[in-house]
Amino acid sequence: MLTIREVSHFFGRRPALRRISCEVSSGQMVALVGRNGGGKTTLLRAVAGLTRPSEGRIEWRGIEMARISARVRARQVAYVAQNPGLSIDLSVREMVSLGAATRRREGGLDGLVQKVIEEIGLGALHDRPYHELSAGERQRCVVARALAQHEARGLLALDEPLSNLDPGETMRVVGILKARARDGALVVLAMHDLPLVDKVADQVLWLEGGELVANGTPASVFTPERLAQTFHCDFVRGPQGLSLGR
Amino acid sequence: MNGRRALAIAGLAALLLVGCAARLLVGHAGPDGALTFGLPSETIAPLRVGAIASAAAAGMCLGLSGLLLQALLRNPLAAPFILGLSAGAGLATTIAAWFSGAIAAIGLAWLANSLAGTVGALAVLAIVAALGRRSGVLDPLTLILAGTVISTICGALTLLVQSLMPPSTRGDSWTWFMGQVPEIPDWPLVWVAVALVALCAVVATRLGDELDAASTTDDEATSLGVSLGRLRIVLFTGAGALAAASVALCGPIAFVGFVAPHLARGLMGSRHGALAVASPLAGAAILVWADALRQGIDFGAGRLPIGVLTALLGGPVFLSIMRRSRVRTGGWSC
Repeated sequence: MLTIREVSHFFGRRPALRRISCEVSSGQMVALVGRNGGGKTTLLRAVAGLTRPSEGRIEWRGIEMARISARVRARQVAYVAQNPGLSIDLSVREMVSLGAATRRREGGLDGLVQKVIEEIGLGALHDRPYHELSAGERQRCVVARALAQHEARGLLALDEPLSNLDPGETMRVVGILKARARDGALVVLAMHDLPLVDKVADQVLWLEGGELVANGTPASVFTPERLAQTFHCDFVRGPQGLSLGR
Repeated sequence: MNGRRALAIAGLAALLLVGCAARLLVGHAGPDGALTFGLPSETIAPLRVGAIASAAAAGMCLGLSGLLLQALLRNPLAAPFILGLSAGAGLATTIAAWFSGAIAAIGLAWLANSLAGTVGALAVLAIVAALGRRSGVLDPLTLILAGTVISTICGALTLLVQSLMPPSTRGDSWTWFMGQVPEIPDWPLVWVAVALVALCAVVATRLGDELDAASTTDDEATSLGVSLGRLRIVLFTGAGALAAASVALCGPIAFVGFVAPHLARGLMGSRHGALAVASPLAGAAILVWADALRQGIDFGAGRLPIGVLTALLGGPVFLSIMRRSRVRTGGWSC
C-alpha cells in the first residue's frame, strides 16, 4: 500500500505539487497523466524516494519513505527515469546486473539477469554496450534493470517508459508490467498515451498544475469534457475503448 | 573476476615489468653521456631503481586518480592534469616549499609538500566542479574549459611565486614544470604514494558496483541504493590526494591520468571494481615506458623531459576520444 498524505513540493517559491492525498493498493497498475509540467515527474520522484516532499509525507507499507534506508529502499522500490544516462560504457548485461546487485544476498542473480533480459527482448544484444543501443533498446534496458532490482511485491515507478517503443515492444513491456502487478507489485507510471492508459491502467491519477484533479478508474476519469478541455482535441469512447477522434 | 579481466590485469602487470627491465638496462654513461644498453654498474643501478620507483608510483597515482575522476564526473575526458588538479597541487607545493625551510631542516619537506599539494588539488577540484555546472548538471565541455582556465591561472601563479622565491630555494622550476622523474627520490614519499594507491584501490574495488551505478544519472544511482554524497566525498578526496602525490613525486605530468583508464577499459570493459586494479597498473606501465623511451630522445638539449613526451603521445589520444565522445552523445551532454 502506498499512501500519499497532503504532499506539497516547491522549487524555490514555485509550487510543483499542491496538497496531494491519495491511497494506492499493491497489485495494481496506476497511471499518472496530465499535461506537461503538471507535476507527474515530481510526484513520481517523491514516490520513489528520490526527493523529499517540502510538506506532507509518503508512506510505503506503513513506513514513511524518507525513513527507509537507501539500501532497503533500493530492494523494494525501482525507478526508471524519463531521461536515463546516455554515455554509459556498460553492456546490457552489466546494466541489468546493477539492478540485481541490490539483491545480492538472495543469490542466483545471474539467472535472474538472463531471464529478465530475455523477457524484455534484448537476449541477442546482451553483450552490446549500452551507448550503442537505439533509444527504444536503451529504454527497454533500463526497464529490465528495474525489473531485476525490485523484489516481487515491490514498487515500480516508471517515468514515460514507453515513449520510444514501437507498438510491438510497447505491448511486450505493458504485458510484463501487468504480470508484475498481478504478482503483487505496485506499478506506477507516468504516461501520455491516454488510449493505452485507458486499456491497461487499473487506476488513474490526473495532475494539473501540481494538483490532483481526478482519481479513479480510467472510465471515470477520462470524461470527454475533461479530455477536450485539457488537451483541446477530441477523444471518443467506443467498444474498443478510448481513441483520438478525427 | 572473469577470465578476460584476469588476463588483462596479468598483461598490464607484464607490460610494467618489461618496462621496468627496459628502464633498468637503458641509460646514459660516460663523460659524454652516451646512450648505453646493459646491466648498470653498482653506482648507477640505485639511480635507475630510484627512477623506476618514482615513475611507477607516480604513474599508479595518476592512473587511479584519472579513473576515479572519469567515473565520478561521468566524463571520459576527465583527468588530474586536464582538470587542473596537477596545476593546483603544483601551486600549493611551490607555496609550501617557499615557507618550508624549517620543515626541510628536519627532513619532512616531502610531507609538507604532499599535504599542501592535496589541499591545492582538492581546492581546484571544488572550484572546477562548481564552475563546470550548467543548469545544475556537470557539463563535460564546461568542466574541461574550467579546468583548462584554472590550470593556466595556477601555472602562472606558480611561476610568480617561484620568481619571488630566493634563488637558493627556487630549484629548477623550468625542468619541474615539464615533469621530471627523479633518480634520487624522497623514498618516504614513494612509499606513501604506493600505500595511498593500495588504500584507494581497495576502497574503489569494494565500491565497484556503486561506481558502476554512479556512471548512470544521479536519480538512477540513488534509486539503485548508492549514497552519492558519501561516495563522492570519499573518492574525490582519494583522487585529489593521488594527484597531489604524483605532483610531489614527478611534477605535473600530462595525459597519463587520462590515457591509463582508457587503456584499461579497452582491455577489460567498464566494471570499476576491476578497473581500480588495472588502471594504476596501466598508469605505471605508461610512465615507466615513457621514462625508458625518453632516454633515447635527445635533440641536443639533453634528454626529452618526460612531461613533453607524455603530452606529445597523449594529446592525439585525447583529441580522438573527445571526438568519439561528441559523436556518441550527439553533442556535448554526457
